[in-house]
Formats: sequence, structure tokens, C-alpha cells
Amino acid sequence: MSAPALKLCKQRERAGLKGPRAPEWLAAQGIVLPAAPNTWAHSDTLLVARLGQLEFFLEGTVAGAALKRISSSLEQRPPGVYPVPREDWGFLLGGDRVHDVLAQVCNVNFAALPLHSHPVIMTLMIGVAVLVVPQGLEPGQGAAGERQYRIWCDPTYGAYLGESLGAVVVECGGRYTGVS
Amino acid sequence: MMYRLESPAGEWIDRSAPLRFTFEGREYQGYSGDTISSALAAAGVPFMARSFKYHRPRGILSFADHDSNTLFQVDGMPNVRGDVTWLRDGMRVTAINTFGGLRHDQARVLDRFAPLLPVGFYYKAFHSKRLFPRWERMFRALTGLGRVTLDAAREATPKRYGFCDVLVIGGGPSGLAAALAAAQAGAQVALADESPRLTGNGAPPTLLRAVQESPRITLFPATVAAGYYADHWVALAEAGRMTKMRARAVVFATGVIEQPAVFRNNDLPGVMLASGAARLLARHGVAAGRRPVIVAANLEAYQACLELHARGITPAAIVDLRAAPENDAAVSACRALGVNLLQSSAPFEAIRGADGRVAGLTVAPLEPSGQLDARSPRHLECDAILMSVGWAAAAQLLLQAGGTTRFSEELQQFVPSVLPAGIFAAGRLNGVYDTESRTADGRRAGSQAAAHAGFGAPNGEAVARSLRCPSHRFPIIDHPRAKNFVDFDEDLQVKDLENAAQEGFDSSELLKRYSTVGMGPSQGKHSNMNALRILARYRGVGVEALGLTTARPMYHPVPMKLLAGRSFYPERRTPIDAQHAALGAVWMPAGNWRRPEYYQVSGESRSQSIEAEVHAVRNAVGLIDVGTLGKIEVHGPDAGQFLDRAYAGRYSDLKVGMTRYGLMLDESGVIIDDGVIARMEENLFYFTTTTGGSATVFRELQRWNALWGLDCALVNVTGHRAAFNFAGPSSREILQSLTDVDLRDEAFPYLAVREGSVAGSAARLLRVGFVGELGYEIHVAAGRGAEVWQALYAAGLRKGLRPFGVEAQRVLRLEKGHLIVGQDTDGLTDPYEANAQWAVAMKKPFFIGQRSLRILQARGPRQKLMGIELAAGAPLPKECHLVIENGAIAGRVTSVTHSRALNKSIGLAMLSPDLAQVGRDIRIRGEDGEMLAAKVAPAPFYDPKNLRQKAGSGT
Repeated sequence: MSAPALKLCKQRERAGLKGPRAPEWLAAQGIVLPAAPNTWAHSDTLLVARLGQLEFFLEGTVAGAALKRISSSLEQRPPGVYPVPREDWGFLLGGDRVHDVLAQVCNVNFAALPLHSHPVIMTLMIGVAVLVVPQGLEPGQGAAGERQYRIWCDPTYGAYLGESLGAVVVECGGRYTGVS
Repeated sequence: MMYRLESPAGEWIDRSAPLRFTFEGREYQGYSGDTISSALAAAGVPFMARSFKYHRPRGILSFADHDSNTLFQVDGMPNVRGDVTWLRDGMRVTAINTFGGLRHDQARVLDRFAPLLPVGFYYKAFHSKRLFPRWERMFRALTGLGRVTLDAAREATPKRYGFCDVLVIGGGPSGLAAALAAAQAGAQVALADESPRLTGNGAPPTLLRAVQESPRITLFPATVAAGYYADHWVALAEAGRMTKMRARAVVFATGVIEQPAVFRNNDLPGVMLASGAARLLARHGVAAGRRPVIVAANLEAYQACLELHARGITPAAIVDLRAAPENDAAVSACRALGVNLLQSSAPFEAIRGADGRVAGLTVAPLEPSGQLDARSPRHLECDAILMSVGWAAAAQLLLQAGGTTRFSEELQQFVPSVLPAGIFAAGRLNGVYDTESRTADGRRAGSQAAAHAGFGAPNGEAVARSLRCPSHRFPIIDHPRAKNFVDFDEDLQVKDLENAAQEGFDSSELLKRYSTVGMGPSQGKHSNMNALRILARYRGVGVEALGLTTARPMYHPVPMKLLAGRSFYPERRTPIDAQHAALGAVWMPAGNWRRPEYYQVSGESRSQSIEAEVHAVRNAVGLIDVGTLGKIEVHGPDAGQFLDRAYAGRYSDLKVGMTRYGLMLDESGVIIDDGVIARMEENLFYFTTTTGGSATVFRELQRWNALWGLDCALVNVTGHRAAFNFAGPSSREILQSLTDVDLRDEAFPYLAVREGSVAGSAARLLRVGFVGELGYEIHVAAGRGAEVWQALYAAGLRKGLRPFGVEAQRVLRLEKGHLIVGQDTDGLTDPYEANAQWAVAMKKPFFIGQRSLRILQARGPRQKLMGIELAAGAPLPKECHLVIENGAIAGRVTSVTHSRALNKSIGLAMLSPDLAQVGRDIRIRGEDGEMLAAKVAPAPFYDPKNLRQKAGSGT
């Protein structure tokens, strides 16, 4: 069992879009869309989160081409599709006592969320609006049933969220990494 | 006198682990496992506290955290509850609410002045305006419990959320049975009990063990359910943490609270509740006395007698208020032991001994009518009086949850009547008293709760309520010399409540507020029921007719630290935060942002640095981080129409590539925000809001967008874009070296907006004039902010650039007469008062606030925002200092500063219309009442024709 760990994930790029024609446009770009609102899916190298009906959040690796292609196409201003700049800070929270940590910062019962439905949670965490994606671990990465949580927030709250969440993680015997 | 017995089986203390502590400066010894009051009792301390009003000596009453007789100051912490706080080695304990120490408390003389302090004297004292200040000073000095010490060590008490399917409150037989039944049905259960250890309170040991071993039950011992909030959200308070528990169903097995009998001197140390005495004996081996008298009105009294006898203590007598006790083995056993049983008898007066504790009890026959026959009193020698006359339902949490109760005449207690969905009650709270029945009732409630939460099916029949009445209907004995206390917290006697009712405060709510019964730290746990009985007798009605007062959280007092938790303080930082720090920024809060107030330069004072920053902007170039401004995009074919409706100005006719000032009003026409609105493309607008207003404005605009259903979408990019204002005569020249945008006036006129790149990053540039110089607001992606700032800074440094902060910006904008929403406007300021009517396009078909503006326009302004100049050499007034005319308030200063550029002190002020004329002399009342001369002046003060910001030239 591993101690809780919080990691600031800098090496990722993000983009967003919304609008009445956003779903069809995104699908036309070859992206696999989550079918239901407030769920996520993997498409190629991207994580695609559907925020409500008509807004999407995408994250990919810096080296990945898919996100660059999407962002570039958005600059052409397709009708009914509006770019949403996403300079979020992204965190990865995991480890053995991850739910002890989450219980101190957020009133969502994350442990009870069924992973198979790929839920996307938009909530407040210690006063900050966050986007949360719970995920299971790849085989061999941790104990059976262990989870990790991808957490994103507005960049202007990033330092506060990281420091505050990191303090709780450290108190629970873990570490906060990725910050300079 | 209380004393420690030889080791009884099952005690909680460890006699091999002594602990030393001090009380009132004197050293004592207790044991590990003692509480503060059990250790003091074992040490034979005669009394432990002084009462709130009369400073009467007090001792242990409930030994259950249900009374405030044993509150202490412990190591700097006030109001520590001695009954339930574990003793620690080295503890320093003192009594609270004393003047000169516990034993020689100077305020004890107040007991003799009791006749001068009748019920309601507090309100009556304040009736005299002349004497008001004297009474206020006296009450402030005399009242209050405990002392707050500012140097007490801060303890970390993080809060957490908890989740369960079924929450069970109460760990007695019914609570344990409910928890187990719910767990067996498949529910995740949380069980909270306020006892320091979970003992089951008489439940079968097998039941307790099953609960402790169940993997689906999480136990919260030593935890108070402090309050019930909406949707089954319950605050669970432990010593060092609060858990905010969200359940899907709640079982209240909160039991009952033993009630005192009311007789003269029933508050003496040594008079306590029988259940409290039993706990003190069983857990800590401390006996209430060697020769106690039991005042009885139920079977529990006789069981208490047998428990004492088993420990070698034979009560002097059982004084039973009833004509005949139950036909029960316990009663027979007491008779067989030779205990003196006095039926139809009542305690008349407890006698005080030389040490301040009880030394005897006078009893008298009680007639069937309830009248006492005081002609033939009988004196009993004793050193303790144990009261076992009845119970009151601990229903406060149930009532908070929306449950209702009714008064059961058969049981003489309130029992649940109608319960909301998901709420269940069991055990003695429910009027079920014997152990087997309580267990069955708990099983029923637990299975019903689990079924409500989606687990299993409800099973178990409703359990019949007790046929035996465990509570006397009127355990209150009148005495001509009073001192028969109903509320120990507030020192309220029977006559106080009767007098209150006589004065017209004759409902339960009015009686509470006038007499303060139930308003002390105990919150009426030992007084509300008897108070109702007294009121019912006075009014000649049944208790049911009166009803209970409203129960509100907290059920027990909760330390503020548990509510505070970690004290998270969300703070926003711009992408340039590190650069500001490196430049010596002195921080200030701006809403929930941190911003540089100014930049500390070695050898400069604060005012010198701010002046230098202002000077740099006026004469060279300055750079300020305005990334805190709200930044919103609106996209779509109806974007222009949307802004026309949301703002007071017109934007649908704004040319692409231009900006316009935006004034936002609420529906009453009051100014709530402002900013700059830029048209980037035909169907794309980009606009700013104030720093403090961004979240609120975006939320409001989203709401309006949903209501209006226009074909447009809003995107909040506030945190995702960095923004700077690069301003000063040299700004164009320096910026041109970093951008591909043509900055010449003919290509980029004042109030235009352009897109291009700055220092290699895609940027939006807006020509704005907030500080009154040639300047550009530069907006880039947040991730590029630091790089662009560094490039601007480096390029500008060679030309005398200084970064400038909020304070310098305030001076610069004030020199231009520009208002700040929320500083120069308040919650009632409309555009006419703020001289901003030029920003209103009244001819639009509709905008928010339009209808109200028509009314306000017809009415005329009540005040006007005007520029002011202070007389030369006059000290500077402060913001909100008043303008006085003919002895009356005629306005207030909203902004003020000394301007080096203008060499005079200037400001803005809201003035009554008759004063709002340029050239008019006014007087401002400054610090210490000094009157300062000023004159109404035209604004802008600096560059009135705005030549510098438009073309970068002229003054």
C-alpha cells in the first residue's frame, strides 16, 4: 500500500470548447466523445471530458499532435463552436489514504463513485472550483481497487490548491511533488 | 464527602498510573482514566465551582457533560467540561467565574442580594437611560464564564466529511441494536455516542461485541452529534475534530436525560443525579458520600440503592415522592436490606454543612394533592443526596431534524409523534424503557432505516411504550425562603419563573427569553421540563398545551476551533506572482487575490516608493499587472444584443476593433460593476470587469443568458489570461520594439483594440486611459504571462520603467477623476449621482435597470460625486470622513490623495446637490473632529482634455 501522493502535472496541454455545434464538430475531428454529460473518455492520446451537454475539456501530452490539431482548427472559428482557453493547473492525487485526504477537502463521496461509468465531477474543493476525474490504476500500478484522481483548477488558484492539498497529504504521511 | 473506594471491578482508572495536577494552585493526585471532576471528587474537594449569578458553591450534578456545574479553566483554555475531560499529568486547573479564587470568591456576597436581583432585573436595570452606562460596566465586569487567553497554543483540528447509509446517534441498547440491524441488512453504518467509551449502557455484552466487530459499522465514541442540518447532514464533534456526516437515514437513539428534583438548596455540592453518582462510582471508584439519601420517584432509584449497597454503601433513606413504589424485586430487596423507606415524602430543604457541602436533608410528608405538610418535618443526616425522580427525552436533535413530539401523560415525557422521511427514533427517547424492549425497538428502527437507504426490508413490529411511568409529574417543592433551583446555569428559582409568568411572559418562548431559563450552557437539559411544569401549574393547563421551545444547533457547546478547522483561505495569484516577489512587492489583499500594493525599493519609504511609481508613469513608463481583472468573452450571433441588455451602454453598434466603457447596473438602477468592452469580431466581444466582481458578474450573466435564451455563449477567461497595463509617454516606443502591431495613432487610435504578438506571444492590445497616460492593456495566455512581463520589464528598464502597484494606480486614476465602483459608489449609487449618465443609452429597447433609471431620472439625484481640492497645507482627511454643512452631514469623502504632479491634495466626494457646484467651499470633519477646508473642483484634475492618453502628448 502506498502513501498518499499529490503530483502537479505540468507536462500536459489542455484545451476547451463549447457551443451548440461543439459535439458534432468535435466528432467530425475524429474524436471519440463521451456519450453522456459529465463523463469522460479516452480518444487517441487525449482525455476528453464532457462538461454538461455542450462543453468539452481535453487534455493531452505536450508531445501529442492531436491537441495541437484541435486547437489549430478552433482558431478557424467554426460556426457554433467557441474555444475555451484552458490554462488549468492539473494534479494527480493517489495512494492508499487518498479518500482520507479527499474527505478533508471536499464533500463529494468519491469512494462511492462507480469507475465504470467514467464520471466527471465538477465541485468545490477547499473553496476552489475543480474538475475531478476518478480513475482506476493500470494493472501492476497499485493494489486492487486503488484509485487515483485527476484534479484541475483555474491557474490562479493553483498555488493555493496545491499547497493546501499538499499540506493535507503530508499530514497523512504522503508527499507533494512536481512543484519547483 | 466524596471519596475513592477500593478497586471496584470494571473501573476505568489505572491505579498504577498516578497523575499530578493543580486545582486553584494546590496540588492533587488522580489516576490515568480519571476525568478532572472525578479526580477532584476523589480528592475530597468540597466544591468545584461558583454559580453564574449568585456565586453559590457548586459540585458535580450529572457527571455526563449535561450540566455546567463543573466548567474549568485548564492550561489557558476556558470552559473545559470537567466531567468528560480526561485528566493529564501536569494540568493546571482553576475555577471560572470567581473574583479572588474559588474559596474566597468576593462575589459570593451576591447570594445575599438575591432578593434585589429578581427575574428580569437585567432588562429592568437597563430601563433607566441615566444609569445604563453604570449597569453596563458592572455587568460586563461580573458576567462571562472563563477567560479567553490570546497566547493559548493553537491546536490543529481539521474537519472532514463523512458518508454513511445509516447514522445511529446513541450507543445504548437501542442504538447498538439499530446499528447492528442496519449493518446486517447491508448498510454502511456510523454510530456516534457521547460517552468517553462505548459501554452499551446496560446492553447485553454480546450485542456490544457484535457491533464492535461488524465490518460495516464505524464507531464514533466520545463524539457529540452537535447539530442536525438539512438532508441528514449531522455535525459530529469529537475532542479534536468535527466530522460533517452525510447519511441517507438517521436513527435517533439519544435516550433521556435524568432530571433534578426542585427543593430548597438542591444546588448544594453533594446533591447530584443518581445516574451521575452511579457512573462516578462504576467508572472511577468514587462514591458520592458515605451516607447518602436517595430522593426517589421511580424504580431506578431502588436499583441505584442496590448498586450502592453492593459497593458497601448503605443509603440513609429513600425518600419517595409517591405513595407506593412499584411492586418489583428491587423494591423488596431494598426493604430487606433495612433501608429506611419514606413513602409520600418530599425533600423540603437540604442543609448546608460547615464545608459548604450538604450535611443533611429535611423531609416532610407529601399529601396526595401534592401539597407538602411542613408542620412535621423530619431531619435526616447525610453527606450526599441522590435524585432519581424522572427523565426528559433528549429530543433536541430529533426536533432539529423536523420531527415533532407530543407529551405523554402516561410517561410524563415528550415522545416522538411525526417523523420526516429517513428519520427514525428508538429506545427511551421513544418511551421504551426496559432493556429487552429497547433492543427490540432498536432492531425495528435500524431495519427501517436501512430499508429507507435501499438495503433490505423493514422488519420488526412497533414496540409498545413502557407501562411504568419513570418520571414524577411534579417533582417541585415550594419553599417560603426559595433557593429551590430550577435552572442551575442561570440560578433561577421557582419564584423567578412564577414571577415571570405573572408579569405576562407566560408562554414557553416568552418565559425562556424573559427569565433566561434554558439559555445557559446546558441549554435547558435539566431545566426545560420542570420550567414547563411550573408554567403549566401557573396557567392551569397541561404541559402539552404549552409546547417546547425551538431546538437549534448546537446541542452541546462546541469549541470554535472545531468549527474553524484548518482555516483554509482561498487566495488567487496572477501568473506574475513570482516576478512581483522578486521585485520586492509588498502584498495586499484585493478581493481574494493578492496584489502588489507597491514595490519596496531599498532606501525608500512606502510613500516615497508610491510617489516614485506615479512619477515614472507620468514621465517615462510604468508596468502594472492587471491580471486580476475579470475577463469574459461572449461569442455568437446575438453577442451584441446580449451586451446591450446586460450593460447600460450600446454595443451592438460598436465597430470591430474598437472598445467602449461598460457600466453594469442592477434592476434598481444601481451601479454594480464596470469595465471595458471590446469588439474583436462581428460575433465576438471581449470585456473586462472589476477585480472583485468577476465571479459574481459571470454568474449573473450566465443566469441572464439562460433566461433570455439568446444565441450566444459566455466564456470566462479571467484566470486563463494574464494582463498588464503598460503606460507612460515612452510606452509606445518601447512596446513597438516588441510587437508586430502598428501602434501609430492612425493605425491604432485611442480606445481601439488589436490582435497580434508581443514578445513572441499571441496578444490582445487595448488602448485604454485609466491612468491618464498613453497606455496599452496587453492580454496574453496565462502560461505566457511571465515571459511577456519579463520582456516588457527588460525593455522598459532602459527607459526608466518602474513596476507600479495598486496604490500608485489609485493615485493616477484619481488624478484623472476616474471612479472605482464600490469605493466611490455604494449600494445605492446610480449613474446620475456618479456623473456617469454619459455611459447610459436610454433609447435602447431594454437593458437591466432601465425602468428604474427612468424613475431615478425624474426624481433627481440625492447626492453627486464631485471632485474636491483640499486647502494648501491642510492635513489629508480619510476616505469616509464626513462633509459637514450647518451642523448636518452633507456628504462624505470617497477617495483622497496628495498629488505630486499637481502639487495639491485632491479627491472625490459624494455631496448633497446644493453643495455640488464647482467652486463651492465645503468643510470636512477629519481625525479628532478637526474641520478641514476644501473646495469643489472640476475633474479630471490632471490633463483635463485627455490629450496625453489620446495622443501621448500635451498636459
